[in-house]
Parts: sequence; C-alpha cells; structure tokens
Amino acid sequence: MPVTREGFEPLIVAFCCNWCSYAGADLAGTSRQPYPSNVRVIRVPCSGRVNPSFIIRAFQRGADGVLVAGCHPGDCHYHSGNYHARRRFTILKQLLEYLGIEPERFQVRWISGSEGAKFSAVMNELTENVRKLGQNRKLRDAR
Amino acid sequence: MKKIAKTKLQELWRCLSAEGALYLPVRSDSVVDFALWQEDVPADLETLNTFLPPKKFYYPQTETVLKYEFGENLQLLDASSQAGEKTILFGVRPCDTAALSLMDKVYLSEPVDEAYRRRRENTVIIALGCREPEETCFCQTFDIDPGKAPGADLLAIDTGTELVVTAQSLKGEELLVALNGVLQEATSGDEIRVKDVQEQAGEGYLTRVSVHGLAEKLDTCFASPYWDRLYRRCIACGTCTYLCPTCHCFDLQEYAAGHSGERVRCWDACMFTDFTQMAGGHNPRPTQKERVRQRFMHKLNYFPRQHGGEYACVGCGRCVRQCPVNLDILEVIREMGGAVDGQ
Amino acid sequence: MSTASEKLRASAAEALACGRVSLVLGWRKKDFWWQSPVAFVEAAAEAEQLSFDPFSVYNPVKYLLEATECHEKVGVFVKGCDSRGINRLLQDKRLEREQVLIFGLPCSGKADPAKIRAVFPAQKIREVAQEGEELLVRLTDGQERVAAADFLLEKCLTCRHPNPVVFDELLWEPVPVRAGVDVSRFARVNSVAQKEILERYTYWARQFDRCIRCFACRNTCPACNCRSCIFDQAEPRWLGKASDLADTMNYQIIRAFHVAGRCFECGECERICPAGIPLQEMNRRLIMDIDKYFGPYEAGLDAGDSPPLGTYRGEDPAGFDES
Repeated sequence: MPVTREGFEPLIVAFCCNWCSYAGADLAGTSRQPYPSNVRVIRVPCSGRVNPSFIIRAFQRGADGVLVAGCHPGDCHYHSGNYHARRRFTILKQLLEYLGIEPERFQVRWISGSEGAKFSAVMNELTENVRKLGQNRKLRDAR
Repeated sequence: MKKIAKTKLQELWRCLSAEGALYLPVRSDSVVDFALWQEDVPADLETLNTFLPPKKFYYPQTETVLKYEFGENLQLLDASSQAGEKTILFGVRPCDTAALSLMDKVYLSEPVDEAYRRRRENTVIIALGCREPEETCFCQTFDIDPGKAPGADLLAIDTGTELVVTAQSLKGEELLVALNGVLQEATSGDEIRVKDVQEQAGEGYLTRVSVHGLAEKLDTCFASPYWDRLYRRCIACGTCTYLCPTCHCFDLQEYAAGHSGERVRCWDACMFTDFTQMAGGHNPRPTQKERVRQRFMHKLNYFPRQHGGEYACVGCGRCVRQCPVNLDILEVIREMGGAVDGQ
Repeated sequence: MSTASEKLRASAAEALACGRVSLVLGWRKKDFWWQSPVAFVEAAAEAEQLSFDPFSVYNPVKYLLEATECHEKVGVFVKGCDSRGINRLLQDKRLEREQVLIFGLPCSGKADPAKIRAVFPAQKIREVAQEGEELLVRLTDGQERVAAADFLLEKCLTCRHPNPVVFDELLWEPVPVRAGVDVSRFARVNSVAQKEILERYTYWARQFDRCIRCFACRNTCPACNCRSCIFDQAEPRWLGKASDLADTMNYQIIRAFHVAGRCFECGECERICPAGIPLQEMNRRLIMDIDKYFGPYEAGLDAGDSPPLGTYRGEDPAGFDES
C-alpha cells in the first residue's frame, strides 16, 4: 500500500481493451485530461479476454480496486467479446458482493476510443470511492 | 489424582488459559474442531473425532520456515525460532495422542525438526479418555487403550458428573500444582470409578480388525493386481491425508516478491496428481493407482519397516467416516490380510 | 414385485451377459450401514453385489471419464441428479452419447446418516432399508419404522428433478417432485444475502477459514471436468499451497464461478465437504443471478442447449453501470 503524507493512497488496476478503452486512455492523455496516478492500466486484447482469475489475482497482489473497461456493446472489435464479458462480470460482481466484498471495489465500464473525458472521470470516481473504503484486506494475500 | 465437577469446568478452563493458550474442541457451524478457548463459547467434550487432528498444533498446515530481504546485504531470518508459544490442548483423545508419538518418530529423529520440537516442548496435552467408542473407531487394532493416553501430560477421565485428572509427566504435575485452587483431591472411590470407565471403554468396539503380520505380507504385494481394482473409486482429493493424524508429508513453496520473500512449508498429499510431479513434467506416480498404493503401503508397510514395526495408523476412523467414496484403510487391512469380526 | 436392488442386478447382468456393455457402474454395500460406494461391475456374475438403498448417493457419472477410456460402452445407473451430470459431460464434449447405456432410477430422495444418528444410537444400527415411503431401521435390539421424508439429505429436500432427464431405460415409474422445492431451493441463499455486507464477509470468512483445500468439491463435480485444472498448475501458480484465507477465497470464488451456468445442483460438493462449507449457497447464488439477468435456466437438462455464460443476447441487462 503506497502511503503518502496525506494518508492512504489506493492502488487501482484497470484492465483496458486495446481497441476502445486503452485508446480512450490515450485520448485522455493527449487532451491533457488528468486522472489519478493510482491507476495502473493493463492492456488486454478485449474485455472478453479478462478472466475472473485476473481480477481476484489483482486483489490478492495488492489492488484496492479493479476496473474492467471495454468497448460499448455493439462496438467490439471481435464482434461479441464484450457481450460475453457483460454476462460474465454481471454475475461475478453479484457474487463478490454476496461474499461481502464492497461493490465499489470492482467496476465494469464501457469506454470508447473517443471518450477520453469519460476515462478520466471514471478513474477519478473509482479512485475516490476506493479511497473512502480504505485498503482491501479481504482479498489481499498475506504473502 | 485430582478431580473437578463437570459443572465447574469453566473455572478450570479460566485457570488453564492463564497458564497458556488453551485450545479445546468447539463446535462452529456443523464442525467440531480445536479452537482457542473463549469464555462464552461452549466446549464439545462428547464428539470423539475433531474435524482436524491436533497435529495442526505441532505441524501447522502452513508454516514460514525462512524469510529473506535484499537490502545492502542479504538478510536471512530463520522463522522457526519464533515457534513456541506456551499451549495447552484440552480434550485430546487417546488415538490422537498416540498419533503424536508416531509423528515424533519422523520429526524428532535426526535431523530434528527444530520448530516441531519447540512446539512439542511448549505444549501440555490434557487427554480425555473415551467412554464409548464410535462405530468407526478401531484404535484397539493398534493396541491403543481408549481409556488411557500414555503420551499425554495429564489424563482426564469422565466418571459421569466429574472429571478425574491424573498427572503422567513432569509438565503435567507442574500444571496440576498451578490448578490447585480449582481441583479437589480424588478419593479411592474415584479411583475405582476411573478403572470402571476405562475397562468399559474397551468393550464397545464394533469394528475389530487385525494387522498381525500385515506389514510382512505387504512386502510382496507391491505389484498385486489388488491395487488395480482398489484405486478406481478414488477421486484424488486430499480428505484422507489432511484429516489423518499420522500423515505428515509436506511441500516447500517459495513466495518471492520484489526484494523479499519467504519459504513456506505446507501440507501436501500423496493423493494429489502434482505431488510427485517433477520440474520436467515426469511423474513417477503417473496414475491414481500408484498414489493410492503409496498411501496404504506407507501406512502399513514402509512406516513399520522404518520405525520398529509400528503402523502409521491409530484407528481414529476419520478417513472411514469422511472419505467421499468410502475408500478407507479398514477395507485395505481387511482385504490384504487382517481379519474382521463384528460388522 | 422385485425390489429396487434386484432390478438393478437384473438389468446389469443382462446388459453384461449379452455384451451391450463391458462395465456397469452402480452401488454396493460396504462395512457400515451408511456406506454405499460406487461399484464397478465387469461380469454378469458380479452383478449380485449391486444394491440401491437409502445411501446410494454418490454420483457415478464422473467415473465415466476414465471408464470410457478403456471400455467401448459403459452401463451406468443414474438418479435424477446423476443424470444431469451425463448431460453436463455430453454438452462439454467429454463424452459421446453412444458410449453410455443409461439406466434411469427415479428417486424420491436419499437418507442423511447424520439425521439417523441423531435419533438412533449409531452403535446399535445394523441396517437401514427403504420400504416404500418408510425407512426400516434394524437395530441390535429390534427394529423401527420411520418416515423416510424426515431423514432426507439437505440436497434432496430442494431437488427439482428427481426423475432422470436422460436415459435408455427407466427401471420403475417416475416419482413426483416434492412440494415447495421452488421456495426451499433459494431459502439459504436469501438468508445469507439479507445480512449486512460486513456480516456476510464474516460469515463467509468463517466458512472458508475451515477449508483445508482437499479439493474434494472440485474432484467430485461432473462440471469440473477440465483435463488439467489451473489450481494444479505449478507454473504459473494460480493458487498458492499456503492456507491463506484470501487465497482460499480465490479458490472458492473461481471454482464456483467456473461452474456458473453449468452447475446442475446435485449438491455433492457440499455434502462431501469434510469442513462443512455451505458451497451450495454459492452455487445457487450464481444460479439465482443467471435466472434474474438472463432468464430462467437449469443446467444439465438438455445437452443441446448453450450454457448461459457461453452465449449472449444483444439486449442483455448489465449488473453494472452501462452509461
């Protein structure tokens, strides 16, 4: 956990699809729209590539919040990857909440390549929400 | 010999917990297991087999043996030196007590496992004699008396309304002195009652098998077609090994991250497919047949061959009751040579 | 009228004798009254050992994976729950329909040894047999009849498909579905879901803390039929060997999720868990959400349909902010 003088700084892992959300992050950068440095972006070919194991592993290894971001429904570069992702993460999100994991910690968003502002807003919102929750202890591996 | 009324056990436990971390059998949801004593959580002294045997106190499922950190120099920390908080186990059954002496043969012979030794030294075992064996109990097969527990520091016998406690070691005697305030002196009548309970305990066995000559017989059974039939039912889970009070196999795992890391010793089970998997992919026990054979041969042949004829089974019956597919050591003992009376 | 066990023996002996199959999977009795392990019968003369009693619970279907490797065709006796396991394997392309001869056994529920031990002293029980809707409990000193319905396994109380859904022969008449299963099916899930979030975590942490990672839940599950499991993989190691609570949650979450939309509610994982972890409360939560978001679906009823997480519709709702 990175701790600054101001206190707790959350670590956010964002799985971004190569074709939309990662491009959205690029656009946020080139349009100088700031988002917190707490976010670590991991580029994946498609939101449908994201295995639930990746999310749990991120939490285990120190993430306080995890985001999966992909193309809007209908825009998938591979036609249907995000539709599969939508079903998968709808269910996973409910399961994590049912097991007592705060729902704010795991988020899924559709962010297109033209939505630099949205990328920045989502990252800000997620970081703030997780900051309020504090450190993820429930899914964090002791080792 | 001392005694205490069963209605006053809370007082006894309060005193004991002042002497060290007190663990006793407690029910949590549907499972009875050893847990740290808490004033308002009732103990379960009726259930014979706890979910896990008390081996977990000497030989934990997960144990850090080494930690390191790269700074200016490499810093090594021998984590085993930290083991050894004073611990009191209350309510250990005679079979589980006997299992510890088998485990000692492995971990206290050269090279001695220091963490194990330290934990063993710092633990006081208060055994609780059994009044009536369960249907799956067969400790008598291994000459274990359900009313006695020679390996324990103290032996408690339930005579109905009282527990009569006898010291069996120096540690036990010291603890009895510390408990003077809550214990009463036992009478000669109590002594007779204890003998009665002990004698009666040995009479209720439903399952009688004999292991006489079994180890010798198994010498020639490695290639027996028996194993081809037996293993098919096994689903390769680790229930039998993890629940077994005498199973003691482990795996060393490295957890490394950045500039620090630790080496951890974890329980492992010969039933798992990856137990003997080599780095290059070769597995000397390629199918479940070899793994099942290994488990039973280890208990009934290799162990007695290495340790003066003692079998690595105490007849607690955990594997008999818990195996999902009813593949247990009773079956092997019976079919490979020992005789069964009763059921 | 011949008994259930006799019908099993006759069917198995006939199929083996005329060479329709070279192996039959059923159940037999073992040392104790509550032990009815799966039997592997390879010759008509061995069919005598078969028995169908209140404890013939264990699902023989998972053994088909290995059995069909060395037998061209295998006969298998299945109850309602077991039969859905066959559809599971067919749908996952782990089994071909021609490889199995399925004998269907309508089943009105199996007995829970713990419930019987709670009423009768275990040391005195010699045999527990099914007689119509009653259990006949033979004791060392006499015998008693009790209503079988009072001693059912938890999983049988919520069974929606007591009759086999896939079979070649049905050995006797179908039985009715128990009244009220649709409510009882999700009752435990709802009672956990009603707790506050921290309470839910405490509840599950206590359950998972007992997990010893014996993998019985995975190994017994016909939906867990991968040729090799990520949890057994050494490199990369997805699941550490150390018994860390967060890592146990990793295992439990991924195990449950991997069978989401494929779990057919046989409840064997929960029944055989030595640590008494209420795994069905996770599996059924996933079923509940799948029903809610993507429409009612029951796994293992039709080998030809698509499991809900293997398909999609454009108009699916999302369980997260889609704005």
